Amino acid sequence: MDPQDLDLINGLLDSDADLRERIKEHVIDFDKRTRTMVGMLNKVHSTASAEIPTLLDSVRPVLHSCQDTTAALAAIIPPNQFWRWKDMWNNSLRASVFSAVLIEFLANGTLLSLASVSEQLGIKEEWSDRFVLSVEDYLHGLISMINELSRLAVNAVTLGDYDAPIRISIFVKELFAGFSMLNLKNDILRRRFDSLKYDIKKIEEVVYDVSLRKLASPPTKPA
Amino acid sequence: MSVSAHPPSLIASAFLSFRDDIDDHNDRRERLIKCSRDITIASKKVVFLLHRIMTDSGADDRTLSLHAASEGQKALRNVQMLFMKITPEVEGDRFWRYQHNISPGLQEYIEALSFAHYLEHGTLITYNEVQKSLSDESGSPYFPLPMSDYILGLSDLTGELMRFAISSISKRGGRTKASEVSVFVRGCKADFEGLTPHIRDLSKKQAVTSQSLRKIEEAAYAIAVRSSEFDLSPEMLDDVVGQAISGYGENFDDMHTSGRRRPTSDEHEFE
Repeated sequence: MDPQDLDLINGLLDSDADLRERIKEHVIDFDKRTRTMVGMLNKVHSTASAEIPTLLDSVRPVLHSCQDTTAALAAIIPPNQFWRWKDMWNNSLRASVFSAVLIEFLANGTLLSLASVSEQLGIKEEWSDRFVLSVEDYLHGLISMINELSRLAVNAVTLGDYDAPIRISIFVKELFAGFSMLNLKNDILRRRFDSLKYDIKKIEEVVYDVSLRKLASPPTKPA
Repeated sequence: MSVSAHPPSLIASAFLSFRDDIDDHNDRRERLIKCSRDITIASKKVVFLLHRIMTDSGADDRTLSLHAASEGQKALRNVQMLFMKITPEVEGDRFWRYQHNISPGLQEYIEALSFAHYLEHGTLITYNEVQKSLSDESGSPYFPLPMSDYILGLSDLTGELMRFAISSISKRGGRTKASEVSVFVRGCKADFEGLTPHIRDLSKKQAVTSQSLRKIEEAAYAIAVRSSEFDLSPEMLDDVVGQAISGYGENFDDMHTSGRRRPTSDEHEFE
């Protein structure tokens, strides 16, 4: 190979390696933040429902601090190269989606849309070729939330909140119906979706237990 | 915390749009994988074509090489058309999303292109030349050529060169050619060694290159040892071998003119 060409190749490869290092630094940061959040949210399993809003208020600032990371990543990813590097932060990003949607469900009982999650993470529209929240990542975050909610259904009962499993059951079933509409190929998302039935089964068992013993408050009449 | 505040249609309609997004992605992915396969098949045919022309008897080597290169380039233009066709599918940020779906075909194309280039110029095709072959008339690339695909494609070239060297070793001037090829392949191997930490899978390919190199070296050794038994000049040896081969008569010529490769000890290497 011509020494000049070899230099050119080495130069290009070195600058890629450089960029990888810089991304890695931010991803480590991102990872720290999401682990903190997930750790804090883990407390919902031992927090009485009255205390939950306070807990959520303490997590929100960490969620918003993720905006620094997304901005830093969007600033260093070269145009059009989002998909080249995104695998590096998949886990952190999905954990942050999980935190955002779980907080929203616990606070308002609703599903936080993909667009709203993007907004909470500070992802801007003009970054579309450098940093976006993909449908796949969002759905991964939702599945993590469903996994967590099946645990919460059990623990809420232990803490004396007998209505929570029913709210969770309605919400999760609706999400499951949504997931069933998708044509997933054989990938991790598909496998995780397939495992949702165990979460649903668990939640149903809890609902069965509390209804059988008439622990839950009677259903409100539909409007 | 009442769910009725959130009408079911909202979640359902969100998932409907996810379905479109996922279907769109999967369909595009399938189309590109299929295209990559077509490119692989077409490129392999070009490689066979080059080998076939190079083992033709008759004309001198230089003429054969130039003929092979020009035929090869002609056939490669069809492959380039395939790349041009996928341009809209890999526009903008999409390219890197589907890069690993296209890369098998891309590497196979680079292998064929670099083989034709080697036969014509005796050198390694440069990154810019490959990128230029994947650009329209005005010079704007169909997509950015990934460095890894360029290097991995060249790494496959060494295997073809080994086949080329061994199948021509019994031809007139074949031993000189085999030694040229081994010098060239050794050079490639040395150059690529420094790049292995940067490129995934390159170290595997380097191991294959080492094997190829060994095969050429052993073939060259066998010939050298045998020719030492005769006190003849290389040219006279070529003639002796040539006469012996012509003794096979009609059958052998038939095989040759019908474009079949002469069987070598390395036959199984052909896929």
